[in-house]
Amino acid sequence: MNQLLDASGVSFSWGENDVLKELNLQIKENELVSILGVNGAGKSTLLKCLNRILKPKSGEIRVFSENIHDLNLIELSKFMSYVPQSVRSSFSMDVFDVILLGRRPHINWSISNEDRDKVSNTIRFLNLEDFAFRRFNQLSGGERQRVIIAKAIAQDPNLFLLDEPTSDLDLKNQIEIMKRLRELVSNPESPKSALIAIHDINIAARFSDRILLLHEGEIVASGKPREVLTQENIAMVFGVTSTIEFREYDSYIRVMIEDEIKEEIEV
Amino acid sequence: MSKELVSSFVHLLVDDIMDPLSVQHIEKGKNQLLMVVFLSFSTILLAIYALGQGSSSNLDMWTTASIVFGIENPSELQYDIIWKLRFPRILMAIIGGVALATAGALMQGCLANPLVSPLTLGVASGAALGAAIAIVLGITIVNIPNLGIVVNAFLFSLIVVYIIIQLGNFRSISAESYILVGIAITFITGAIVSTMQYFATDAQLSQLTHWSFGSLSRPELIDVLWIGVVVVGLMPQALRWSWDLNALTLGGDDFAISTGVNPAVIRRNILVLSALMTSVVIAFTGLIGFVGLAAPHMARQIVGNDFRKLIPCSAVFGSFLMLFADTLGRTLFAPIVIPVGIMLSVIGGPFFMYLLLKDSRVSQ
Repeated sequence: MNQLLDASGVSFSWGENDVLKELNLQIKENELVSILGVNGAGKSTLLKCLNRILKPKSGEIRVFSENIHDLNLIELSKFMSYVPQSVRSSFSMDVFDVILLGRRPHINWSISNEDRDKVSNTIRFLNLEDFAFRRFNQLSGGERQRVIIAKAIAQDPNLFLLDEPTSDLDLKNQIEIMKRLRELVSNPESPKSALIAIHDINIAARFSDRILLLHEGEIVASGKPREVLTQENIAMVFGVTSTIEFREYDSYIRVMIEDEIKEEIEV
Repeated sequence: MSKELVSSFVHLLVDDIMDPLSVQHIEKGKNQLLMVVFLSFSTILLAIYALGQGSSSNLDMWTTASIVFGIENPSELQYDIIWKLRFPRILMAIIGGVALATAGALMQGCLANPLVSPLTLGVASGAALGAAIAIVLGITIVNIPNLGIVVNAFLFSLIVVYIIIQLGNFRSISAESYILVGIAITFITGAIVSTMQYFATDAQLSQLTHWSFGSLSRPELIDVLWIGVVVVGLMPQALRWSWDLNALTLGGDDFAISTGVNPAVIRRNILVLSALMTSVVIAFTGLIGFVGLAAPHMARQIVGNDFRKLIPCSAVFGSFLMLFADTLGRTLFAPIVIPVGIMLSVIGGPFFMYLLLKDSRVSQ
């Protein structure tokens, strides 16, 4: 598999506070990578640095060997699309038009029927038909999140950067969205990858090819879910004790977090 | 009936294999376009009516239309009243409405704030200060009477825009802060203009007072045509930014960047263009604030927040509002003429409140 993203030595700080420290990250085509870590570990900051929303203090980020800072934003947005944690606005548009915004990097001003059909297909792909022509700000938080993910899909990028894309979703839709993303990434005819900042360890374990554990701005573990999700790593990163259940025949992995937090056990 | 017509027209254009959702999207767009065309047609009818109405020599609409379209030869008096007296004013109302409403829509979009307008942001007050300096102190960059005022108005509105852009560099700035800064700027410029009024001659005072009212009577036809050239020239650029504005208003800067928009550059360019559109009009008419705030909101009721449709629809609403208010101001207490700025606030304010309350009732 070809390398899609190569970030090396990426550092970022808010004033004196170092958020990302000399971070290295590579993503291959058709790879779904999840980033796990506590609040403030630097997950969102990393995604924003990769998408040029934030400028790293040092380091280099390349997509298909091109430095992202040598690309204009239109070109970059053809390579990658970013889904923020939440989108709220004082103004509103029809859901169809919100998703149509994903076609913006590919068009000049007028919309072709092909672009419309791409939006329609995305709507069907994520089962959004029921509210395709409702106003965006009349939707629930979970519905809005699905629409923004649909916009990212309609953008047709090589890399999806998703910041907690399932945080507002109910259980069924969490699985549904992750399945759809998995489906997109697994398609060998279309070299797409995804980097997902997520809090749900079990969802990450189930759908990811690779998991990164981010702790205090550094990647402390990277690899297949089975390799990364160990009791020691989880205790180190999240400060909780856990039991790991692994099913050999289908590589199913489940992490059960116990009630006690690590500090209390140590005391 | 009209819906069926649009539907059949759409099906002629649309490929049979097109997704039904795409067809629905096209049909919705066509319906919205039809409403904008209807509003444009109403504005033209209102303009013809307004040409025939005034403090003297009222003509019925048919006679006015016959004269305007060259079917009937007017008397010399009718010709003078329609073409020399009323036409510049009505054209100014239309062009001014287009400019101020478009500037309001652009400003609301690029700052993602529904309360923003050339007046609430202080851009109009800045322009007024620039014009006042030209009128009272005679300080201008271009030493041509009317052009000097326009250039001053533009430069001072740019100073306000510069302050707003600098304010936007603070990441934590809230949408409300822009309005608060706009109020502060309005107070400061207002105080300076008042001080100048205090020391102004009678002639200068009269010219300055004209500013605060907002009237369409002053610009000559040649001024109006120049303003029209500038406004029409700027409109395609405003429309070109529609997609960028859609991204900015929907999800803010982070969302816009991921859609290929550079928020800092786009915001700066849009604010400069809006300032130019605002100042080129109010340099001649005086402060007219309500159109820039209300017309975009009224347009949203019809076409939503897609700026590809919102900008033209706001422009048409702006023209209609301006023309309606001015015609009412000229005819209601004829021969006394109430300035358009006052009329707009009187009739537009309650209507605007109704629209907002209607919206909040739906939300509840």
